[in-house]
Amino acid sequence: MVSADSFTRIDAPGPLAPFRVLDLTNELGQLSGRLLGDLGADVIKVEPPGGDPSRWITPFYNDESDPERSLHWWMFNANKRGITCNIADEEGRALFLRLVELADFVVDTAPPGMLDQLGLGYDDLSAVNPAIVHTSITPFGQSGPYANWRGSDLIGAAMGGQMYLNGDPEREPLRPTVSQAYAQASLQATVGTMIAHFHRTRTGQGQHVDQSLQEAATYALDNAMATWDLREVNIPRPGNGRNIGGYKFGRYIYPAADGHMSAMSYGGLFGLTARQTIDWLASHDAAQDLVEPGWVAKLDASQGVIPPLSPEDGQHLADVLAAFIAQHPRDLLMREAQAIRNGWAPVNTPKDLLENEQLIAREYWTDVRHEELDRTFTYPGPWAKLSETPITIRRRAPRIGEHNDEVFLGLLNLSAEQFAAHSGSGVI
Amino acid sequence: MSERAFDGIRIADFSWVGVGPLVAKYLADHGAETIRLESGTRPEALRRAPPFVNDEPGLDNSGYYANFNSSKLCAGLNMSHPRAVDLAKRIIAQSDIVTESFTPKAMRAWGLTYDNLREIKPDIIMISMPLYGQTGPWSMYQGFGHVLQAAAGINHMTGYRDGEPIGTGLAYTDFFVPHLAAIALIAALDHRERTGEGQFIDFGQLEAAIYATETLVLDYTVNAREQHRQGNRHPMAAPHGAFPCLPRDPGANSDSANSDDGDSDNERWIAIACFDDDDWDALCTVLGDDSLRWDDRFNNQDGRLINQDDLEAALAQHTQRWQAEDLMQALQESGVAAGVVQSSEDLRNDPQLAHRKHYWTLDHPTMGPCCYDGPSFRLTHTPGELTKAAPTLGADNDHVWKTIVGLSDEEFTELLVEGAFD
Repeated sequence: MVSADSFTRIDAPGPLAPFRVLDLTNELGQLSGRLLGDLGADVIKVEPPGGDPSRWITPFYNDESDPERSLHWWMFNANKRGITCNIADEEGRALFLRLVELADFVVDTAPPGMLDQLGLGYDDLSAVNPAIVHTSITPFGQSGPYANWRGSDLIGAAMGGQMYLNGDPEREPLRPTVSQAYAQASLQATVGTMIAHFHRTRTGQGQHVDQSLQEAATYALDNAMATWDLREVNIPRPGNGRNIGGYKFGRYIYPAADGHMSAMSYGGLFGLTARQTIDWLASHDAAQDLVEPGWVAKLDASQGVIPPLSPEDGQHLADVLAAFIAQHPRDLLMREAQAIRNGWAPVNTPKDLLENEQLIAREYWTDVRHEELDRTFTYPGPWAKLSETPITIRRRAPRIGEHNDEVFLGLLNLSAEQFAAHSGSGVI
Repeated sequence: MSERAFDGIRIADFSWVGVGPLVAKYLADHGAETIRLESGTRPEALRRAPPFVNDEPGLDNSGYYANFNSSKLCAGLNMSHPRAVDLAKRIIAQSDIVTESFTPKAMRAWGLTYDNLREIKPDIIMISMPLYGQTGPWSMYQGFGHVLQAAAGINHMTGYRDGEPIGTGLAYTDFFVPHLAAIALIAALDHRERTGEGQFIDFGQLEAAIYATETLVLDYTVNAREQHRQGNRHPMAAPHGAFPCLPRDPGANSDSANSDDGDSDNERWIAIACFDDDDWDALCTVLGDDSLRWDDRFNNQDGRLINQDDLEAALAQHTQRWQAEDLMQALQESGVAAGVVQSSEDLRNDPQLAHRKHYWTLDHPTMGPCCYDGPSFRLTHTPGELTKAAPTLGADNDHVWKTIVGLSDEEFTELLVEGAFD
């Protein structure tokens, strides 16, 4: 069976379907386990009895503060099964190690050294399963002068350099948006995990992956590092503009008639498409004095390297663009800009995203059933379309201990008596 | 030299600018033989983009290009030459992976679609990474990462609470979606290793970039609520923001004469996050202010969340009397999450990043020794290794076209003269 987009076999298992993941992460790394689950792995979220503290992260379904209703938990723990197991307890540790024997990946966000103290560090895990790929995500990495410091998304964004590059020059620096340092750490840790996994497929050898939150943020700074290295310029926060290599480029987000529009630096009025863009504005009687030959000569950089533009000229372009964009709706601006190869895009709100014709045509949005609520909710869909081994979003996030029976009785073959004993002693 | 995870894997990399080259960089830095196929006639945009060594524009002089292309080879290929498609097919026949990031019409026009490629190499893995994917009404639309972040919902959430949406200062999605593309690509490579089956990956950057928006979508689809940008604030932590510190000692500052944006270089800020009353208590102890600790507005988390404007103003009065590093040190020693808002210069001098050997210095034939970012993770058995600086344009023509593809000296010279590699 082939889906409507004609590229993907929707009935095939994902590329990681043969593999199992034990996920010990909090919000710093939960996206990592989620991605492995999206690729088809059997991901088992291991929570302390009573549930993971990240179940209390806002917002909640209907704003009802409840560990089963955190949308943050739902988003980052879909495609996982869930068990409770107190790994700090000796019996819990033994159960966990039995799971490790049956697993291929372990992902954790414990502070450096904590799992070693519990007898669950990489050396302990590889002793029972030499092929295990064990990924640890921490604020600053496993060793070094800051290894035991506290982190959070904000601290990662500050110490990793993201905040320095973001915000208005006359106001305080900003974190880029919702938790991007966490996202970077989770994504990059998963790349490292997959590299280790590929090596295991070829050699049978597992290994440890040590991911730093700070360093992940640092790996996502565009050309800022190179600009310091080559020019000794710290790229400043550019407000509503962009700064490439220490050179200021103009404002690129403008109010349109029905929202905001991202119109590239100078909207294409400067550089390779200057002539077409001036003609386009002129066709709407909005080019003002840019139609004069002097301006065209100054802005058209279709040959050679982009020349500098004075701040006054840049401001004039921004003023002309602002007046033009304010008059028109975003869909017209998008269509007409793209027709002259200007890569504009609307600043989409959540509503815009859900109504976006491209995402609908691509069948991006995915319904996920929450049977206990008798509701079905729309989630972001697969983040890549693999033709033979598709990514799927198959199940909602687990409820507390939802799969204890399946995992402890089924997978581990505990007897009903053993299971009851572990439950009674608070291990499960 | 350590074992390298992708030894023996060859990539024909037709991608350009940010996303594709950053995907291939992961594999190149872990041992894949990665061949950038580029044209000097229609140069890769980043080769023309600053920063340049000595501020001199030149195709082999861009630090922007260099940092994304460590450990790679470069062969010239001018797709407007009549034999270019044939040459492309011949290098693809010798490759395991093909990467590209054009709008879908390019590979179709050249007859280099996945269906074409698997006739040449049945188990090829091809990943196509344009902004909007291979199908749908926007598929032929173009753009760059600093615009895609608007389409993905990111810019709606970027900026101050009382202000308009602003871009992140970066082409942000260029530094988000490559990780996801690399994960999908390695998953496909692993599937091939185990089953012999290749495949096509239709990677629409927009669809991956939406994963940067946390609960933006679910809050809308579940609660019908449109989240709004929050500056630095956090719904469950207060204070949670950036606070001014003493300016950097100008004497200690390096030359910043090149900056054309005024002197924000000397500003110092510290980020502080308090998630509970213990954090707050420790913060007040470090600041030595009991009146702040017991202020009715601030002495519990709900109060701090409600009175954040006052809280931030009161804290700034304290922080601006501190050197940022001293305050960070004191707060961290007391268990408070705090960190200096670090510039690129700070990062290069950061003892933790130095301990982890994040930065690599590689000698480039025309640029000289330059700094490169290495991977942010450490693998115990197959660590990343940046084996060489970015390639100059066409640096590996001989190796690629003669040794790998097998052109004779005569053929190679004829094609060279005809401009096939320009």
